[in-house]
Amino acid sequence: MKRFDCLKLLAPMVDEHMLAVTSLSTNAPFWYNVRPEGPNFFALNMGLCLPFALGLTMAFPRRKVISIDSDGSLMNDSSSLITVADVNPGNLVAFVFDNSSYAFMGSTFTARRTDLAKMAQGAGIAKSGTVRTLEEFSAAAKQAMESTGPHFIVAKVEPDAGRVAADRSRTSGRPMREWFMDAVHRHPDYQVRR
Amino acid sequence: MDQQSVQVIVETLKEQGIDLVVTLPEEPTYALTEAVRQDSFFTAVTVAGEGNGIAFCAGAALGGRRVAFVTGVAGLLVSSWALSQMGMVYGAPILILASYRGDFGDHSGIPGSQLLMFKQVAEPLLGALRVPYRVVNQKATLKRMLQEGSFACQDYSHPIALLLSGEVLW
Repeated sequence: MKRFDCLKLLAPMVDEHMLAVTSLSTNAPFWYNVRPEGPNFFALNMGLCLPFALGLTMAFPRRKVISIDSDGSLMNDSSSLITVADVNPGNLVAFVFDNSSYAFMGSTFTARRTDLAKMAQGAGIAKSGTVRTLEEFSAAAKQAMESTGPHFIVAKVEPDAGRVAADRSRTSGRPMREWFMDAVHRHPDYQVRR
Repeated sequence: MDQQSVQVIVETLKEQGIDLVVTLPEEPTYALTEAVRQDSFFTAVTVAGEGNGIAFCAGAALGGRRVAFVTGVAGLLVSSWALSQMGMVYGAPILILASYRGDFGDHSGIPGSQLLMFKQVAEPLLGALRVPYRVVNQKATLKRMLQEGSFACQDYSHPIALLLSGEVLW
């Protein structure tokens, strides 16, 4: 199963008002290619993607918030799984694209003994599971997008053969942040607290 | 922290519209976080790690919530990666209330070598992370410091830290 193919299936399930957060890995340019507009926050790495998405669920409780994380990033701070379980947000759909590798730098722990879905279940996220085919991914994503969460879906994917092009001003750093804030400020649920 | 300080902080957070308070419990600020937990005005969230606590606060803050993160110097050390990202890179307005462990007056019983480390590290760490901060150790100035810190946090769109010490904390 390829990550890009999964994201192509996921994007049409995400409406214009749902929020998405990605990790730094190839998730960022791939997601930009399939959902360039809307409230997307790209490229949070080393454990920050999932908890940032969790924070967004508190600001937009009526909308789905999609976390598109990667195995290496999540494992950098897996205690966020415990925080997610404790906050228990019904509107969080968390994906982890697990290619079992640190880019071209060798295998991660999920290539050996570590099972992220079991870790999530152990943390207390009841709706956790692993998918290995596009059919399984599509069914799990659809079910998660249409029901109360939190959902935690580990998608076992192949190491990415290459990267796709993406506008860096839209997918990284302060310029990306400003695009995101513009989308947030135009969001119908956004409330100015002054 | 005594009830007088707790009351001033709770009242001022309310005045500032800060209704989401995030913490990983630590002893010096426990009275504050417990008071927040008992008050229905607030959403109180306990996180399992300070790094994900800062990222959580950032997501909520950039989404429009007003947030405070209650921690200590050890928590600032643990969350330094997250602070570097959510502060310098992404400018998330997070009001940080941190017990200033190791400051003069900390008689909490932690070994002196630890207290000295906290004292030596806390302010240089915030400086290195470019987090504007003030030491708040007078009850008479607590409310004003909170008001100004909250305003600066929103105006800068950046984390701000108030290091609680002296008669405010001990």
